[in-house]
Amino acid sequence: MLLFIGIMLVNCTDLQEEVLDESFTGGATADQIAPGTLVPAYAVLPGLFQHTNYFALQQISTDEAILPYRGGTDWGDNGIYIDMHRHTYTPAHVRLKDAWNAISQGQARALVAIQELASIPGETAQLYQAEARGLRAYYSMLMLDLFGVIFVKEKASDVSAVLRGNEAVEYIKNELLAIEPIVSNSVGPGRISQGAVWGLLSRLYLNAPVYRDPYATSFDFTAADMDKVIEYTTKIISSGQYQLSPEYFEIFDDENHTNKELIFAVDQRAELNGHNRMAYFSLSGDQFPLPAFNRANGTDGPGITSDFYQSWVQAYGADDPADMDPRFFKKNLNIPADSCISGANFEINRGILRGQQYGLLTTANGQPFTLCADGVSFKIGKLHNITRADKTKLVNFTEMIDFTTEGSGYSTGYRVEKYEFSKKSDTGRNKGDADIIIVRYADAYLMRAEAKLRKNDAAGALADVNTVRAARTARVVPPALSTMTLDILYRERGFEFYWEMLRRTDMIRFGKYEGTWTEKTDSDVKKRLFPIPQSAIDGASGTPGYLVQNESY
Amino acid sequence: MKKNYLYFVKRKLGTRLCFQFFLAALILGSIPQNVLAETPTTSLLSAVELIQSRVVSGTVTDDTGSALPGVNILEKGTTNGTVSDTNGKFRISVASSESVLVFSFVGTVTQQVTVGSRDDVSVQLASDAQTLSEIVVVGYGTQEKKDVTGSVASVKSDDFNKGIINSPEQLLQGKVSGVNITSASGEPGSAQRITIRGVGSMRAGVTPLFVVDGMILDNSGTGGAINPLSFLNPQDIETMDVLKDASATAIYGTRGANGVILITTKKGKSGKSTINYSSSIGISKAANKIDVFGADEFRKKVVEVGGVLTDLGSATNWQDEIMRTAYTQNHNLGFSGGTDNLTYFASLGLQDQDGILKNSNLKRYTGRVNLHQKGLGGRLQIDFNMNATNTVSTRPPIESLLGTALSLNPTYPAYDQDGKPSVFGDAFNPLLQLKLYDDITNTTRIIGNISPSFEIIKGLVYKLNFGIDNSSSDRDIQNKPSTTPFQIGDLNSYFTNNRNKMIENYLTYALTKGEHNINVLAGHSYQRIFVQSRHWGITKFADTGIEPRYNPGLGQQLNLVDNPPSGGTAVTELQSFFGRINYSFRDRYLFTATVRSDGSSRFGGNNKYGTFPSFSAGWRLSDEPFMESLPVSNLKLRAGWGQTGNQEFPGKQTQAVVTSSLSGSTSYPLDNGTTYIPGIAYSRLANPSLQWETSTQSNIGVDFGFLSGALTGTIDYFNKVSTNVLASVTVPDPINVVPEYYVNVKNMKIINKGLELALDYKLNVGNDFKFGVGANITFISNTVKDAPFKLLTTGSASGSGLTSATINGYVNGEPIGTFYMKDFIGIDANGLSKFRDANNDNQDTADDRIAAGSALPNKLFNFYTSAGYKGFDLSISLNGVSGNKIYNNTANTNFYKAHLAKSLNTTSIATEFPNESLTNPAAVSTRYLEDGSFLRLNNATLGYNFNPTMIGMAKWITALRLSVTGQNLFVITKYTGYDPEVNTDRTVNSVTSFGIDYNSYPKPRTLVIGLNVSF
Repeated sequence: MLLFIGIMLVNCTDLQEEVLDESFTGGATADQIAPGTLVPAYAVLPGLFQHTNYFALQQISTDEAILPYRGGTDWGDNGIYIDMHRHTYTPAHVRLKDAWNAISQGQARALVAIQELASIPGETAQLYQAEARGLRAYYSMLMLDLFGVIFVKEKASDVSAVLRGNEAVEYIKNELLAIEPIVSNSVGPGRISQGAVWGLLSRLYLNAPVYRDPYATSFDFTAADMDKVIEYTTKIISSGQYQLSPEYFEIFDDENHTNKELIFAVDQRAELNGHNRMAYFSLSGDQFPLPAFNRANGTDGPGITSDFYQSWVQAYGADDPADMDPRFFKKNLNIPADSCISGANFEINRGILRGQQYGLLTTANGQPFTLCADGVSFKIGKLHNITRADKTKLVNFTEMIDFTTEGSGYSTGYRVEKYEFSKKSDTGRNKGDADIIIVRYADAYLMRAEAKLRKNDAAGALADVNTVRAARTARVVPPALSTMTLDILYRERGFEFYWEMLRRTDMIRFGKYEGTWTEKTDSDVKKRLFPIPQSAIDGASGTPGYLVQNESY
Repeated sequence: MKKNYLYFVKRKLGTRLCFQFFLAALILGSIPQNVLAETPTTSLLSAVELIQSRVVSGTVTDDTGSALPGVNILEKGTTNGTVSDTNGKFRISVASSESVLVFSFVGTVTQQVTVGSRDDVSVQLASDAQTLSEIVVVGYGTQEKKDVTGSVASVKSDDFNKGIINSPEQLLQGKVSGVNITSASGEPGSAQRITIRGVGSMRAGVTPLFVVDGMILDNSGTGGAINPLSFLNPQDIETMDVLKDASATAIYGTRGANGVILITTKKGKSGKSTINYSSSIGISKAANKIDVFGADEFRKKVVEVGGVLTDLGSATNWQDEIMRTAYTQNHNLGFSGGTDNLTYFASLGLQDQDGILKNSNLKRYTGRVNLHQKGLGGRLQIDFNMNATNTVSTRPPIESLLGTALSLNPTYPAYDQDGKPSVFGDAFNPLLQLKLYDDITNTTRIIGNISPSFEIIKGLVYKLNFGIDNSSSDRDIQNKPSTTPFQIGDLNSYFTNNRNKMIENYLTYALTKGEHNINVLAGHSYQRIFVQSRHWGITKFADTGIEPRYNPGLGQQLNLVDNPPSGGTAVTELQSFFGRINYSFRDRYLFTATVRSDGSSRFGGNNKYGTFPSFSAGWRLSDEPFMESLPVSNLKLRAGWGQTGNQEFPGKQTQAVVTSSLSGSTSYPLDNGTTYIPGIAYSRLANPSLQWETSTQSNIGVDFGFLSGALTGTIDYFNKVSTNVLASVTVPDPINVVPEYYVNVKNMKIINKGLELALDYKLNVGNDFKFGVGANITFISNTVKDAPFKLLTTGSASGSGLTSATINGYVNGEPIGTFYMKDFIGIDANGLSKFRDANNDNQDTADDRIAAGSALPNKLFNFYTSAGYKGFDLSISLNGVSGNKIYNNTANTNFYKAHLAKSLNTTSIATEFPNESLTNPAAVSTRYLEDGSFLRLNNATLGYNFNPTMIGMAKWITALRLSVTGQNLFVITKYTGYDPEVNTDRTVNSVTSFGIDYNSYPKPRTLVIGLNVSF
């Protein structure tokens, strides 16, 4: 009997879970702890700034971009991009959930960093903590802009207070002001710097009237707010740290990290698998921008709407905008009658791509590119839909793009190749190197111009706008404008910042979001705010009244 | 029941229970010698003996002349009785010469003998097939069917499904009411989804618990894509017992909620040495092909719909190109026998099965040894079971292969002029996919347990059960390098190790006193399950003719961005205390109470242990004197209630985790250089309150038999409510380091209610002709109630254009497995899909989605018949379900008008609406939701048993049988895919999907010719 009990005891266990594959403490060395705590808060940014995430929310919902169901096979995605364009999004929209989750996660990681860094001594830790606070403010600002609500707490274990409207604006403003004296001016554009804080404060003040009363018939742009915009943009301009890039497209090159136009950007690195989605998204599936990689192609994603294209046409009249404005187009590929080009010299065009496309030739996706008779240089020719069933069809981008059969072909819509197609991207999707712009120097000028204009200083506004235009000296210089109105400024923001994930915010602030454009007729002001994702509403349903859905959803 | 049930299985089923203890030698010292010396009969009855006037003795033997221990011997009309000892001997005092002794033993015909003047009353008990089949295995023991108070079904090897079987679930399909077995596809060794009495959880943990010869298996995969249970050789299995209600499963505590399937393998018999060889050849072909257009029709249709026809002039049936007539061979050698003290069963099995898709194959080699050793005059008994299996599965790239074959232009030639597979620009020739891709998994699984038992004093038996289940597998997935078509080679290797160790100690005590009969069980169990998986990959193999898997060193690209290694390890420990009391009075009032207290390392510190009780009662009405005059051979009422748990959720959820890792989602450059700091981030939240799901089940049943047992049946009604439902849910405050974490969802209930009916009729006409027919039907409903969430979506749609769309959605008031989508009502004037405006807001939005039916059938039915005439026998079984739907994701992705217009093949579904626009998106909607009901002629076997004497081989052969089996002979269904029994797993966020068919492996129709010979 004793032995029997003995056997029982031998097998007794306290049932503490044994974990063999995870380290609960992270295992970082002492000097890695401070930076290691901060970096996850930044690391959310590349994912958030993906084509199907923040980009879709800020661009596909506007008159700048439209993504039809290409050929009835691509980008249907159960209508989510059509809903986004038509403003028929609902709380179930999966991209809203993705953005919401990414922003929440960024904010939560920033909060953990703020807490943890408080206990680490030294100036570096203090600086990191200030940056974490800045990031938290930035994520809150995104949440406020998209969903009209922010979440505030000081301890990870607390339950957040839910703020909207002016309370939210005040919170974000105070957070940014609190770190303004602490953050550095020499950390580069990838981090929260003083310039970044000024840029974000300017943007906050400029949009504060919208945030305070999002469904207003007309927004109350007070002189006090506009003065603040002018104050902070002027701080940026007079800091002497930044410079407008003479070549517009260098702002979006792989190597843009050192471009002095960047104030705040997502510092992407191929080694951390930054993404190349900004460059890949709009290109044709039959465009292969890199001689080194025969699987790196585009995807026939969104094009610009004809409405947006027509705004260029209206601005330049009989002239081709490509000849007039360096922001519209940059020609890198010259096609003589019989084209042979060395791999090193091959580079695709940038900007807005129209008409017949030329490039590297192949017989199928993944197959080697066609070489010239010398066996070394690449043959360049008219691109066809070789990856589609009808290989005879030309890759010839048309102005017309909509949700009709004709408008949904593989080649409809003018395309945007603003960011450089990363030279390291062997799949076309991965290994992006370019920093993705959040705030750049030109916006300091254009925000200041807008604030001046809203204070009826049209001359001051015109001068700021023309400063930006005049700075693009590398190729053709856009002509100076002679008059300034809100509509002209709005149009100018489109020319300068198209596809830079500012358009939805701009459209709302300028009262254009309820307008009509390609396939979009909805005029409900309630659509200015996206619905809070159903998953978040459900998650909070245990506390009635805690998280209230935005009106009309 | 007046017998010690601890004894009765020994002869027929072998060794399930009651055997003594391997440390007996050590314990012997602690037991007084006189206890050992006494015969078992004396101690209990000595008091009675003194006043009895006569003593008779004798030996009980079976029909082969072997001694039969454990036989109940009762003086009729009294409570005086005894039990035969291990040598079949007994001694009993009786009142007079007129006394009648009743000899009863399970599996034999009860005999009554008037004592008369004899002192020696030896009897030979004839075996009784009818009664034999009434033994059921319950947890930690066996019982006679007539004494069972819970809902338990037992299927014997004779009744198993025949033909090519690659996992034991298939043996059971259609055999037991309330059990739904769906194979995910027709692939050899494909996973089977088996649910008992409905789906009681939202997660994948809905598989019942499997116990093989007392060894509790873990349900984690063993690596590769094939069913982990396919390691068992079906021919080694003697019985499978299905514990359905909580009163039966509560003895398995936190693992009982999904039901329990107890598998007992074959055992040897003393004095009966046999060698059995069986062999079969199976020929399989696709039972059904999807009706895509042939080349000529395709040419017409593309033009008709206004598409652009690409015509390369050939006529290729791509489905035929990737499919084949597949052959399967099976060889099995089993031998068994033994002496009084040692019996053995051993077998070797080999099955080499080709799938009907090219490059699809499963090889299984099994070896088994089961030993049973007696010692110390039968008081010590040792069981030893050992099984070793090696399976090698080879798989083509099924989804893409089928997807391409179904939609590829039929005018494209399969081969070029040189007879090589053609290379196309816009598509990958499926023949090249077959050539350039391999997925090979090699799994070795060894499972063994030893269970000694020792009878300490009469009726009190101690048993130890120690088992190990160890499997390891390696899986290589390679894309072979190729110049034409150009492909860079790569290799991904996955290594999985599972180690499951179990040790159990328990005591049973059986006491018969007068009309009272008590059995008590108490024990302790400890189990540790270790699952480890590792993955490495390397890319950029040059086209050297060497397959990457033979030398990964030839790969040229390996870095943390392109192919980072991955893996994980989980350890689960379980400690349990369990007990059961069976009490019966007058053999007709039956009570059972069980309890198990289960502790699991998966649960949080606040809830380490859960206790799961059950109670049940039975009343054998037919044994009541007032029933004697009625033509009822058996009538029993049963009622039970109990609670069980479900702990199948990912481990480590009770602890938060902070990871320091260098990856794109956690690291970020802080300086402008190229050093990257590993980010320290939470990747999981802690929930120390996390606990098991609880299932509370009530069951009322009746077992009946009429016409002297020719017509028997069972009716059960059950109500099973799952609470504390485990799910990964969105955190209440969005500012949390992870967006989702595991909780027990408050208030939510998943309710399964149902009625199960089983009827069986057997007719014997003379000696030559036998006939039987039977059916079982299950009516079941499933409902989600009181969930705090409005909608939980799952079942991600597959295919281009459907990214992020979901197919299933769980809402209150609807069942698990509900399809949640827009309701397609036709094509509008613009040629676009019209959906019902379900929320009446005049807008077409995601809010118009509706609950459009469920993937879970509400009726399951099975019919079977058997007939025998002389040496011939014929058995036929049909099975079916109704009330369910299937989402035809294959059609959704492939068969729509725009697809056809682009010279991709479709079925006529694409041309159903002439005015449909070519850009009408094929969105997820009820358009592709189909009726999933079916009736299948699942199995038909015709056999002939030769009489060895008549063919002059009686000297050498004891039995010779030839048989022909047809599997999946026909299916009646409206479903337009390959087969309505299908389940492509499209789980989202750990919420299980149901009823989706996406490019699923077609089901074969198979003809098997078998030979079985015994020596």
